[in-house]
Amino acid sequence: MRVPKAIRHFVERPRLPRLDSYVPAASDPPIFWFNGEREDIVDEVADRLTEAHGVSVGSLELALNDAAMREMRRLERQHDEEARRDLGGWRALSRNIGKMSEREQKQELRRVTRRFAHDVAGNFDPRVYRMAIRAVPKLLATLMQPSQMPRALTSGEGVLGRLLKVEGHAEHLARLEKLGTVVYVPTHSSNLDSIVLGRALESVGLSPVVYGAGKNLFTNPIISFFMHNLGAYRVDRRIGAALYKDVLKTYSQVIIERGYHSLFFPGGTRSRSNIIESRLKLGLMGSAVSAFAANQARGVARKVFFVPTTINYALVLEAETLVEDWLKEEGQARYIIEDDEFSQLDRWVAFLRKVLGMQAACVVRFGAPVDPFGNPVDEEGCSVAPGGQTIDPASYVRWRGKATLDDERDAAYTQDLGEVLVRRYRHETVVMSTALVAHVLWRRIVSQSPGADLFSRLRMRGEVSMERSELEREVGELRDRLGRLQDAGKVRVNDWLADAEPSRIIDRALRVWNGYHTRMAAKDVGDQVIAEDPTLLLYYQNRLVPFATRVAGEHEVAAREIARMGVVR
Amino acid sequence: MSAEEKLPPIGIVGGGGFGRSLAQAIVRNGRRALLWSRRAHTVDGAESTDDFAALRACQLIFLAVPSPYVRETADELGRHLDGEHLLVHVSRGLIGDDLLTLSRVLRRRTPARRIGVLAGPLDAESLAQGSPTGAVVGSRFPEITEAVREAIGSDTLRIYESRDVLGVEIAAAVVGYLALAVGVGREIGVPPTTVAIVLNRGMTEVARWAPSLGADPRTLFGMAGQGDLLAVAGGDDRPEVRLGRALATGAPLAEAGELAGAHIEGVTIARRVDTHARKIGVRTPIAGMIADVVEGNLDPRRAMAALMARAVGKE
Repeated sequence: MRVPKAIRHFVERPRLPRLDSYVPAASDPPIFWFNGEREDIVDEVADRLTEAHGVSVGSLELALNDAAMREMRRLERQHDEEARRDLGGWRALSRNIGKMSEREQKQELRRVTRRFAHDVAGNFDPRVYRMAIRAVPKLLATLMQPSQMPRALTSGEGVLGRLLKVEGHAEHLARLEKLGTVVYVPTHSSNLDSIVLGRALESVGLSPVVYGAGKNLFTNPIISFFMHNLGAYRVDRRIGAALYKDVLKTYSQVIIERGYHSLFFPGGTRSRSNIIESRLKLGLMGSAVSAFAANQARGVARKVFFVPTTINYALVLEAETLVEDWLKEEGQARYIIEDDEFSQLDRWVAFLRKVLGMQAACVVRFGAPVDPFGNPVDEEGCSVAPGGQTIDPASYVRWRGKATLDDERDAAYTQDLGEVLVRRYRHETVVMSTALVAHVLWRRIVSQSPGADLFSRLRMRGEVSMERSELEREVGELRDRLGRLQDAGKVRVNDWLADAEPSRIIDRALRVWNGYHTRMAAKDVGDQVIAEDPTLLLYYQNRLVPFATRVAGEHEVAAREIARMGVVR
Repeated sequence: MSAEEKLPPIGIVGGGGFGRSLAQAIVRNGRRALLWSRRAHTVDGAESTDDFAALRACQLIFLAVPSPYVRETADELGRHLDGEHLLVHVSRGLIGDDLLTLSRVLRRRTPARRIGVLAGPLDAESLAQGSPTGAVVGSRFPEITEAVREAIGSDTLRIYESRDVLGVEIAAAVVGYLALAVGVGREIGVPPTTVAIVLNRGMTEVARWAPSLGADPRTLFGMAGQGDLLAVAGGDDRPEVRLGRALATGAPLAEAGELAGAHIEGVTIARRVDTHARKIGVRTPIAGMIADVVEGNLDPRRAMAALMARAVGKE
């Protein structure tokens, strides 16, 4: 049955009708202006790419042929409504490219890029934003704790506030967002990340951001509604055309040039292993570096600030699917996972029931901002050199006294910036109770199976246990060693852990795991704690891989083995 | 004022032999050279200074100081730089047990990001005299190669470019300690065929290890690696070769160093390469044996014999 166009359009792009146009106030964040500029942004993306590819007939033909061939191949596999609608058009284009004049090819390229850009372009509705920040916390609290509905309806904010802890350089960022474009570059563990980060920004008074979200996240109608109306642009990872990737990068560059605060996940996809990202995908980040250079070249002195951010969960919604995926070594093949816990409502409910009411079950930490060249940025937005002097970031894009555009240069800067971010991620990682307890138990598994390979250890279900008192001692020692690393600025420890008795840390970790995950990670039996599911323990302890040898104490041999896993990400 | 005089001067940090030769080559190319040195050094046609602030006026700055002084120099120089400056070092050093390359040190300790390394069969003498030779600039920034070519490139100096900065830096360091082995071999009178085996296998073992640091092994067989090694094998008398000769006569390291007349980075690098490689499970027996000879723990003749006695595998 064919779905009427209007309904299909609403399902694909659920937006609220508007009778009058919204005029943003001067104090509104930049994103409130977005809808007024959207068509102009789409046109600019199409113009730039048409100009870039228009330098030669060969480039035009190659771009069009590649797009047509890849889209035909994708749609022929899909056999869906989209294929019925679009396949014929791509086939016709493929047949006609060779017969077109240069002018016709340019027109066609502009049409195709415009269409891609339109599909990518986001939307921001201030009404939905206000509803999201006012009503959603209360609604969530009510849904999760129906017995306490009156309290939840009046203080839903408080429930979520306790659950999510935001720390780091928020006040500094509040100043910077008035001085330039802020680009948040967080670690990525869960599909909840963009929602959590949006909530974290709002809770400390920072502006909402524009961000890219995989099209697969738009399949849940409720999530899709909010994504569509809160600035998310759609990234369809099924589209392999080089032109589409150019559109994504150019779109991102244009919105940063125009001052829209943005969010990218430089890891590219959720960390399957839960190891902190050490290899970054630099494409979108590079668009921010190029945006800075492009503004400078046209005399616009708008700065760009990158904010290394970590999102730290005591419990990860999709942990089981992600770790299984990692172990199957299919991480890349299953770049898009559509059947994980994120798409299952009952898993959401179980997850939220488990974490709601827990203090600081998720910690978002905004690290110290850096400029596009990895230099720290002071309170006034000035870049600070290692020697302490302030320097002009525009000097990095000048050559013989003039600001210039240079893709190769900017790619090198982006690579350097990636190295800075990887170091910062480690320093800004907040250790949670589950990582702490899992690390001690996993370390015991490793030391009791010398020379065994990873998979042999993962099969040791319920075979390794620790005396509760011994576990408490090791958890306490590990927490203290991490505390010393924190004093040296090398990592962060969740505040709650700093003062808690080790027995409470263990109880909390066991309580968080058990009852949510379909398998028990560890269980308390008499005076023993049994490592029930090595796979889940491995996943949670992986957060500590970069620090394993530095907090090993007398467990150095096992720690060295654990540290080597960081190489086999 | 001529067009050349309007251009910013080209800086050289370090008044040693190589630094002074760079200044001469720059002056010969009609550009202004500004030589920074703690001690008074003069080069005809070049300006001299002992004030790092004076180098702010330069756009391209060569760093020709031994690696133990690079951190300190970078800290002081860095206070006067910004993102527009181009830094090119000429060192064969790798720092610490992690074998940190100098480009990384410069990137962390100065605001400069456009950084490169100059390496290859280019010694102070040929640079000063303008004898035909070649070199490679390792940098991810095209403007660095362009600037170096303008500064010292000529009909007699061909300058190639490589984007693999790490690879060029590692190649230069490895040639440094392999040249020691050549000196030892010459002194004890081994035939060229034996030297060829040591050099070829010495480079091959490093090619297995270098990717762990992020380098492309193919770079080792380019101008900075194999190209430079050919100059050593062909008979050049660089300080590393002189040090190897002195060691082979039984001179203690300190005395051999004085005879060689220069700071020699390769003295400790062979040991650190071997230790680092072992940690990640790669065998570098030639680096290990060179280290043993340098440290006085192994007689050079026995070292050659032990190397020849090793099991032979596929190439």
